[in-house]
Amino acid sequence: MDRVIETHRLSKVYRRGVYALRDVSLQIDKGEFVFLTGPSGAGKSTLLRLLLCEERPSDGRLTVSGRNLDELRPREVQAYRRTIGFVFQDFKLIPRMTVLENVSFVLRVLGLSSVQQRRRTFQVLKWVGLQHRMNAYPQDLSGGEQQRIAIARALVNDPALVLADEPTGNLDPDLSLEIMNLFREINARGTTVLVATHDRELIRQVGRRAISLDQGHVTEVM
Amino acid sequence: MGALAYSLEQALLSLWRGRGASLLSIATITLALFVLGAFLLVTLNVQRLVGAWRGSAELSIYLQDEATPAERTAVEHLLDASPFVAAHDYVSKSQAEKRFAALFPDLAGLSGEPAGNPFPASIEVRLRSGPGTEGAVDALAGRLRAAAGVSDVRYDRRWIDRLVTLAGIVGAVGLLLVTVLSVAGALSVAIVVRLALFARRDEVEIMRLVGAPLSYIRGPFVTEGLLHGGVGALIAIGLLLAGLVAVRAEYGLAVQAALGLAPIWLLPLRLCGLVVVGGMVVGGIGGLVAAWSSR
Ligand SMILES: Nc1ncnc2c1ncn2[C@@H]1O[C@H](COP(=O)(O)OP(=O)(O)OP(=O)(O)O)[C@@H](O)[C@H]1O
Ligand SMILES: [Mg+2]
Repeated sequence: MDRVIETHRLSKVYRRGVYALRDVSLQIDKGEFVFLTGPSGAGKSTLLRLLLCEERPSDGRLTVSGRNLDELRPREVQAYRRTIGFVFQDFKLIPRMTVLENVSFVLRVLGLSSVQQRRRTFQVLKWVGLQHRMNAYPQDLSGGEQQRIAIARALVNDPALVLADEPTGNLDPDLSLEIMNLFREINARGTTVLVATHDRELIRQVGRRAISLDQGHVTEVM
Repeated sequence: MGALAYSLEQALLSLWRGRGASLLSIATITLALFVLGAFLLVTLNVQRLVGAWRGSAELSIYLQDEATPAERTAVEHLLDASPFVAAHDYVSKSQAEKRFAALFPDLAGLSGEPAGNPFPASIEVRLRSGPGTEGAVDALAGRLRAAAGVSDVRYDRRWIDRLVTLAGIVGAVGLLLVTVLSVAGALSVAIVVRLALFARRDEVEIMRLVGAPLSYIRGPFVTEGLLHGGVGALIAIGLLLAGLVAVRAEYGLAVQAALGLAPIWLLPLRLCGLVVVGGMVVGGIGGLVAAWSSR
């Protein structure tokens, strides 16, 4: 099995000596669907931010597909980010761009022709069931709709690894399950998925491996 | 390619959205380039003038009243032998007197004094300009002074040299002024682009997080700076042209009469190119400073 994510005694210390992560060692293999769970403040978002190179580890090692993220230079960080899909808890959609532009921008920076951009974007929007809203602006959409746009953007360039931070954080249970089904679908096609959530009921329903964090420590691996 | 098109598109958008503040930085660049253009234009004209005057510079050889025709011929042979002499004309005593009378009719009576014609005969020499002229002509003037029958040789370029020195000083002052104004221009572009960057900081952060290449992140801001400079340059060229037309209409004839030469009344293409390139360099530097100082 190919190893996609591997951490070895990974620690992250914020100012005033707060350990958000402490000696975290875990492995996630290619094609896995893994939940990251734990109470608020456990360090779930911190681990995802480290995986996105938004923060640097304070100690320990963090590798993705065999590359040590701490050694990437700025240009390489941008290239690395283009190979993963990230669903942000607060969506991070660009307000002055339409839904279509928000999603197709990712393809634009990859150098796809505008015809290819449109075709692929339309495909993904249809998949999340929002092709009819493609000319709307993010602020005109409901929370659930924005969430699905954020997922569409994360998946539009067929990343081999998808990271999601509370992708069902503000959705009702039915809609949450629907979103999870989207992740299951892409996982079935071979994409590695790591989803942070504190919704244990949802994890039970989906029935996949879960890594529990508490106060920066790994407490349980199911 | 994609980054370039994207940058241009975003920069134009941003320029339009922030047109109020942009006006300020564009005006600063316009001023810098206008001064640059004006000084260059003056310098260019002075150079042309000096060149023309140098080219038609004359050497005057005054003959003694008692000089014999043989001595005059010897002098003319000396002139014919020099490769720097374009032509020479003999002006006799009576011709000199007539010329004076024509130039200053009121003073004509003076020359009718009993002592006779006071004007010396002379040989006027038109010189060829070219490399090495000055040294060679100085040497020639020395030999002519020593020749029999010659009372004096005038070869005075000092006033041209003075003009050149003055033009140099004016040019240096202009350069200093242009430098100061350019720095001010780059700074104001940096401030304005920085403001645009600040207004769009959330968007820039999102782009960073979804992996946009640095050229897509910084490109639009550098391009915006370039556009500031380019627009400033075009306005400066417009103002220079308008200024030239106005000055020409008002003083054109007087200047031409005083100089004996038509000045350059058109903006040479190379000067326009220089102004545009200068503007874009200044604006681009401002944009770069702004884009790089963000994180
Ligand atoms: N930028 C920061 N500066 C200082 N401390 C921080 C920062 N970000 C997070 N922390 C701290 O690190 C710890 C872990 O935070 P993190 O956001 O990773 O938790 P989480 O598991 O995602 O929680 P939640 O479920 O509430 O999102 C918390 O104690 C938090 O206060
Ligand atoms: Mg969190």
